Amino acid sequence: MSALLKVRDLRVRYGRITALYDVDLDVSAGEIVAIIGPNGAGKTSFLSAIAGVVPADGGTIEFRGEDILRLPMEESVRRGIALVPEGRHVLPGLTVMENLRLGATIRTDADAVRSDLERFLDAFPILRERRNEPAGRLSGGEQQMLVIARALMSRPAMLMLDEPSLGLGPRIVEQVYDMIMDARKQGVTILVVEQNARRALAVADRTHVLNGGIIRLSGTADTLAGDPQFEAAYFGLRTAKDGVVP
Amino acid sequence: MIAVLVDAFSVGGLYALTALGIGLIFSVMRLANFAHAEFVTVPAYALFVLSGHPVIMAIASSVLIAVMLALATERIAFRPLRGIDPATMLIASFAVSMFLQRLLVFAFDSRIKPVDPLAVLAGSVRLFGAQINLLKLTTMVTCLVLLVALTVFLKYTRFGLEMRAAAEDFTMSRLLGVRANRVIATAFVLSALLAAVVAVLFSAQTGFVHPRFGLQIVIIAFVATVIGGLGNLVGAAVGGFLVGVVSTLLQSFLPPDLRPFREAFLFFIVILVLLFRPQGLFPARGLKERI
Amino acid sequence: MTRQDTSANETTWQLMSWERLERLVPLLILVAVVAGIMLLASQFGIVQQRRVTLGFISLISVVGLYVFMGNSGVLNFSSVGFMAIGAYVSALLTMRPQVKATFLRDLPDWLAAAQFDPITGALAGGAAAALVALVVGLPIMRLSGIGAGIATLSILIIFYIVLGNWTGVTGGQRSLMGLPTYVTIWNAGLAAIGAIVLAFVYQESRSCLALRASREDEVAARSAGVRVVRERLTAFVLGAFICGIAGVFYGHFLGTLRVENFYLDPTFLYITMLVVGGMRSLTGAVVGVIVISTLAELLRLLEIGGRLPALDVTLKAPAGLGDVVLAALMLGIILFRPQGITGGREITLRGMRG
Repeated sequence: MSALLKVRDLRVRYGRITALYDVDLDVSAGEIVAIIGPNGAGKTSFLSAIAGVVPADGGTIEFRGEDILRLPMEESVRRGIALVPEGRHVLPGLTVMENLRLGATIRTDADAVRSDLERFLDAFPILRERRNEPAGRLSGGEQQMLVIARALMSRPAMLMLDEPSLGLGPRIVEQVYDMIMDARKQGVTILVVEQNARRALAVADRTHVLNGGIIRLSGTADTLAGDPQFEAAYFGLRTAKDGVVP
Repeated sequence: MIAVLVDAFSVGGLYALTALGIGLIFSVMRLANFAHAEFVTVPAYALFVLSGHPVIMAIASSVLIAVMLALATERIAFRPLRGIDPATMLIASFAVSMFLQRLLVFAFDSRIKPVDPLAVLAGSVRLFGAQINLLKLTTMVTCLVLLVALTVFLKYTRFGLEMRAAAEDFTMSRLLGVRANRVIATAFVLSALLAAVVAVLFSAQTGFVHPRFGLQIVIIAFVATVIGGLGNLVGAAVGGFLVGVVSTLLQSFLPPDLRPFREAFLFFIVILVLLFRPQGLFPARGLKERI
Repeated sequence: MTRQDTSANETTWQLMSWERLERLVPLLILVAVVAGIMLLASQFGIVQQRRVTLGFISLISVVGLYVFMGNSGVLNFSSVGFMAIGAYVSALLTMRPQVKATFLRDLPDWLAAAQFDPITGALAGGAAAALVALVVGLPIMRLSGIGAGIATLSILIIFYIVLGNWTGVTGGQRSLMGLPTYVTIWNAGLAAIGAIVLAFVYQESRSCLALRASREDEVAARSAGVRVVRERLTAFVLGAFICGIAGVFYGHFLGTLRVENFYLDPTFLYITMLVVGGMRSLTGAVVGVIVISTLAELLRLLEIGGRLPALDVTLKAPAGLGDVVLAALMLGIILFRPQGITGGREITLRGMRG
């Protein structure tokens, strides 16, 4: 199977600090791929570089065979990559409806946009109920649903989520993951970053452990769970501390 | 009484349009644009240069010139500075303003020049038993129409939605596909349109232009922008009217000794607002949740 | 204690004193430069001397602006307003009572009758500016960024409106004439040197160090126990004092005060000088004044029309071009070298060699 997303030797630096060292990663169409790792491992930098939020320092990023390394962020969504950043960035002063509409701002098929909108409002009655309220008034869980729905409104080929379960109660986390699985059923490829390793392992086809800017370990949930190196890779050993290439 | 009110609202309307012009740009790029003064002055000079020609043509050209000027300053001066701290951008816009002002002095010298773009409206009408100056009535009506048009644009068009989104969270909006350059350019174009309208109406009221023509109105409009909350468009419009009405009333009712100082009071209020209500007197809905 | 320890200590001590001396190098160089300009210019005619004197007055004002804006990193558009306070206070104290009686009718009797010597007038001017700065600064030092910019601009505008309309005391929109003109290239030059020394001594103080820390990271400085508002206020008041003195010299240099001379144009000029030189160092302030003054002078000469003797060509630039070029230069510096010519560093011997 040819890769939808193909990342090679990706390097990201902020001034003197290197966040990612030559990361290689492939995502195939229809897959759910998870990246897990502790705080500061470089997970957010990885997604940000793909979406064009931070410039890469080196390497290549290909999406559907096209080089997207230097693409500004407003273009990556036009290529089919939607990013749901960490921290539920609703546009708080805009209404729920306007947030959703904005998700489709790159689309020109007005009728399909309208039916997509209806679909989401049907699936989430709470959003329909509060559709004319400022999004800033929604609860944390509702905001997370809204931003995922908003990202899906662009009809992406690949949805990237940064810590979608952060700060949410267990029931809401389940709902969020149901939503992600639904999207996958619709054919959307998923790349999800999590600190909540168990949650991510449970849904992902393949999981990568990122720590200190390096992918330490890759595999399926089963192989990883049985791997004696897993804990070392996740929590980091003294020899493999942040920023030190082993 | 009605005459005083029309007076107050026509002045307030000009301040409101100017404050909106400043607020539009501030809201999308955190630039307190000093050079808005020249977005007003330059089209007023265009009216002076074209004063022999048909009114419609003169007005249309001055609007066009304002838009081109705004786009040029955005491209040359402000785009390279995008994302830099707002204080440096403020100094930069001060420099742009001074540059344009001095260019005008260089081209036209600093003496005042007569203009009268709306001579048609010299008369007055009777309304509700009061003699109302036609020009002031037109000013008031034009301002209201523009406010409504701008509201409709922002509220019900895709461009407007993108602009409001960019004002709330620029990066997130870009991630959703809102094109930064286009949104900012749109803000500059709208700002320039408003400035050109102010130039026509205000020069018709004063009857002359000079290199500091726009500055006098922009400085007061800054008061309105701060009072309304920087980046809050509704606040800017309300603030503009408020400042216009208050200063007209002060002018009418303040003891003559204190009248010259009335603008000093306005700036005193600005400092108070910055200190105690930095979100402005009319905080935007939904803003609280963000902070 | 062993011998070795003692000698090691001695070496450290020597190093420290050498470092201490080295820290004074920027000050010595700057003072030498200003003194050099003063001595050189005194060899020329009165016209040239007056241009240089005006440059020194700008230097005092820009140093005053630097003391607050450079060290705190907070925008300040109000410095020229404090110049105005210094100028008017000194004028009222030193003008001849007969002159005051002609122009200013609302003065209190004691002021109308009094005439103080220039030094009392100058110090009172500076002190008045500092006092006003203390009162005004106390609330607004909390602000930073764009809020500080707008607030200080508001202060400038308020001063301008009040001075321009308080006709009985300031002469209002008319010019206030008849100030004793005692300013020479010597006393202006010495005052400029004094301002530089004052700014430098302050800059080396603990208080200013804390302020500079808050410039780099306000939150971190606060959590490290820096009382940001108090340190800012110190700098603001000191800066206002220096600006007040600059205003005094300005008034007694021209002999005439117009409120227009203390508004946006000079504000822009002084900020340009500071930004062009590099707002984060005293060297930057001095370099900015020298560069911009020289350039302005050249452009002015060009506008008058200059003959190039070697080529036998007469150059003449249209009037007003100089101002346009200066504003364009300011814009160019912000766009292409926002740290200014000096990049925010102080001048050192090493820097001069390399």
